[in-house]
Amino acid sequence: MQLRYVFSETGTGLRRNVSMTVALVVTIFVSLTLVGMGLLLNAQAQKAEQYWGSKLQITVFLCNQNSRTPHCTSGEVTEPQKAAIKQVLDTHPEVASYQFQTKDQAFATWKRVYISKDKSEQEIYSTVTPADMQESYWVKLKDPNQYRGVESALSGMDGVTAVRDLREVLKPIYFWMTVLKWGAIAIAAFLLVAAILQVGNTIRLAAFARRKEIGIMRLVGASNLYISLPFLMETLVAALIGVGLAAGTLAVFMYVVIYGRLRPGSHIVEWVDWHDALLSVGGIALLGVLLTLIPTLVMTRKYLRV
Amino acid sequence: MPEWHRHLPVPDTGPPQHPVIRFESVSTTYPGQSRPALSDVSVDVEKGEFVFLVGASGSGKSTFLRLVLREARPNQGRVYVAGKEINRLASWKVPALRRKIGTVFQDFRLLPNKTVSENVAFALQVIGKPRSHINKVVPETLEMVGLEGKGDRMPDELSGGEQQRVAIARAFVNRPQILIADEPTGNLDPNTSVGIMKLLDRINRTGTTVLMATHDAGIVDQMRKRVIELDDGRVVRDQSRGVYGFQN
Repeated sequence: MQLRYVFSETGTGLRRNVSMTVALVVTIFVSLTLVGMGLLLNAQAQKAEQYWGSKLQITVFLCNQNSRTPHCTSGEVTEPQKAAIKQVLDTHPEVASYQFQTKDQAFATWKRVYISKDKSEQEIYSTVTPADMQESYWVKLKDPNQYRGVESALSGMDGVTAVRDLREVLKPIYFWMTVLKWGAIAIAAFLLVAAILQVGNTIRLAAFARRKEIGIMRLVGASNLYISLPFLMETLVAALIGVGLAAGTLAVFMYVVIYGRLRPGSHIVEWVDWHDALLSVGGIALLGVLLTLIPTLVMTRKYLRV
Repeated sequence: MPEWHRHLPVPDTGPPQHPVIRFESVSTTYPGQSRPALSDVSVDVEKGEFVFLVGASGSGKSTFLRLVLREARPNQGRVYVAGKEINRLASWKVPALRRKIGTVFQDFRLLPNKTVSENVAFALQVIGKPRSHINKVVPETLEMVGLEGKGDRMPDELSGGEQQRVAIARAFVNRPQILIADEPTGNLDPNTSVGIMKLLDRINRTGTTVLMATHDAGIVDQMRKRVIELDDGRVVRDQSRGVYGFQN
């Protein structure tokens, strides 16, 4: 197959159809940026749940060597104390399930959230070891409104330094995260519909501009793939430019907002990182390519009668 | 088998000859039309024949050609082209069939932004022929149609007759088995038409089957080739050395 023709036709098509191509690129760019933001928000919500606990969870922190609260008189929680706490969790009717977090796990999370690139900060925190962390139980309740029974049963026990119930604080945060996430995805869905329609228009215009060539190609027996390839390439180029711009915008957002401001200045939660950004860029790249290729294939069948 | 049979000479007739185009009781009606465009048409065209398809406008000539090209399909009956039954041909195999058919139209259908050579080469490029082959056969074909030295001209710099020669070169450059010409002289003056007919005759002499739809009585009468006349979708005449008007 002579691909030179396909490439030159793709170039000609993009130039001939430049306003349409720009419109398509912009629509794909904006919609995919929103989808990418939605994916990042989703990742952030998951990280927040891991860190704070979900809407249904309360956290029971156990004493460590530095604890000074009334129920930590013996310092580090002892094995019999732990067994007694576990006994309560196993038998309490309001407890649906629970997970135990070791000091090492707690230390790993703490490091991810607090240790930044800042040298002086690193020096200050270098004295912290896993032994300074607290062991904890992450308790899921059957009914989140019935938390007081569990709380009072546990908070008075020896070896428990605190029972954290962030549900009232977290509720609005999770609510707005969900609203933002679905808002972004809903707007993106509308824009993606517009993008699909624009792909259809682009193909129709391109097929009209090239109708003579297409007629001759069909008559002389050019294969269907060969006839559709310039059209596929045209929309694919537009999709890839759109994906590239959206990925660039997400990267700038990560660099300026997350790594520039939130990560160094705000340790209230574990923030999304480059790995999450890479995953969401992968997601929008796949979406962008599929959402242009599929309508292009449908439209070429319709308008080219190949 | 009896012993004596083995000693009988067996005549060598070569491989069985099939018509290159065969219509078997073909009827077809366009959607939304009550009258059929073709009605019970049965025709065989052998390899190497030159056939005129004549008849008034709307008699079914174009439908006949469209069926050969598999641009349309019959509602009833069977159409065989180059040994393939077009109704059973998967759509992805249609391009391969069309590579065996060259087509020429009344309005030439050249690409105005390409030179004469590029127009002819286009037919080979889009079916993936290598450039070395294209560089060899395009000048040969242009010479054959009488356009040597005009490869770099643009179509609008040529006369009507020359433009039709370019179209014929494009149709013939891949050496098709069948050449379909739909009113190829319809836009040309009589003298130029004679030149085009001579060219089609030369192509026919290379073994290519030529199927030409025309209204041009003078040409048909002069060439004395096979004439199939259609009227209202039916074959009303099939004469081996016919003329345009009906003759007994």
